[in-house]
Amino acid sequence: MNRRRFLTGTAITGLTALAGCLGSAGDTGPTDGGGDGGGEMHPALGNVDVQPVLGSADQEALIVAYEDPSCSTCRRFEQNTLPELKAKHIDTGNVAFAFRVYPIIYPWGKPAVQALEATYARDEDAFWSLKDHYYADQPSFSEANVLEKTEQFLAAETDLDAAAVAQDARDKAYDDAVQLDLDSGKAAGASATPTFYLFLDGELQTSVQGAQDVRVFENALQL
Amino acid sequence: MSRVRLPTRGRDWRLMARTARLVVTIPLYAVVTLVGAFFGLTLFVFSLNPDLVGFALFSGSLPLANQLALLSGLYPFVSESFDLLTGSVLVLIALLFGVDIAMVTYHLREHDLSVRQGSSGVAGLILGTLGAGCAACGSVLIVGILSLFGISVSLTFLPLDGLEFALLAFVTLLLSIYWIAEGMRGGEINGCPVDF
Repeated sequence: MNRRRFLTGTAITGLTALAGCLGSAGDTGPTDGGGDGGGEMHPALGNVDVQPVLGSADQEALIVAYEDPSCSTCRRFEQNTLPELKAKHIDTGNVAFAFRVYPIIYPWGKPAVQALEATYARDEDAFWSLKDHYYADQPSFSEANVLEKTEQFLAAETDLDAAAVAQDARDKAYDDAVQLDLDSGKAAGASATPTFYLFLDGELQTSVQGAQDVRVFENALQL
Repeated sequence: MSRVRLPTRGRDWRLMARTARLVVTIPLYAVVTLVGAFFGLTLFVFSLNPDLVGFALFSGSLPLANQLALLSGLYPFVSESFDLLTGSVLVLIALLFGVDIAMVTYHLREHDLSVRQGSSGVAGLILGTLGAGCAACGSVLIVGILSLFGISVSLTFLPLDGLEFALLAFVTLLLSIYWIAEGMRGGEINGCPVDF
């Protein structure tokens, strides 16, 4: 193989990679927030009223987050950005934050979100605690141990019937809720985690990918 | 048909380092290096959030201060968009990108070569851009490509969470710089003939 053929081959590989990168990142689906009178509701807003929400869901500004408990970038957002966003804007009533599960990264994320939905169906505070636990101890989880460790955590830290939650997760008893999030995320065009959809008065402003700084959310939503 | 030469010997690396140093210490090419590095870094980080960049530039609803803050917040170390490792790798690749651009520019201008003769550097730049642009979005890249084929995706096979693509870009840029330096062997840069 001469140098030119090598470079041509690698350039084609690279172009394919870029097509995938830009195609997925740029394919953010419908951008109509539904606030233009007659437009369809943005998929990320579908059934948002039954999602776990920090703050009041009827706030003017709403962030809908698609996250995977096994995603390390989601972990950085949860640990670096969300606490500041919560203190400065969610707790003060400026913005609401809706959490939707989107298990597309590592395999243990799939049983984890089944457990999250089973927990949320019983108790919302326990849901937020379990979600934080997944991010706090992320490296320790695997597909083999996630439900066992989930049961241990819920038994120790909450009043829930931890064994029942774990069994529901194994049985995928709340798979409808998981599928609701997966379907809405796909329809919205979320192809990575975390992906955020930022709304003002129900109208989509933009989508944001990655563990962005709190200032990105502040500036985009003019908080 | 010439075979691909790789920098396998110590003197190959010394040739690369010396040629790059001689080029980037010329003031004009130092500027080209910095501008190229900034351009590359901008391309990398903006390609990860095209929707947000489009919103910042074209929404028409944001004050200028918000637009500037949104765009600047996408760069490594300006905000917490990237962790230390990923941000450092991106900046390093951007600098290599700038050096590569400066060397290609020097090669084309000073040695009066055609674009075709400098194509290895140009191809390296393109591949470097593509790889580095995807560096921090392993999941985006993999999901995007494989979903085209209807394949369900897991990143278990990427132990560095997608940083593999940045490392691929890093290697490609090094190869590009080596091949340019090799092509410039015997030429005179900064009054100093480059040869070993």
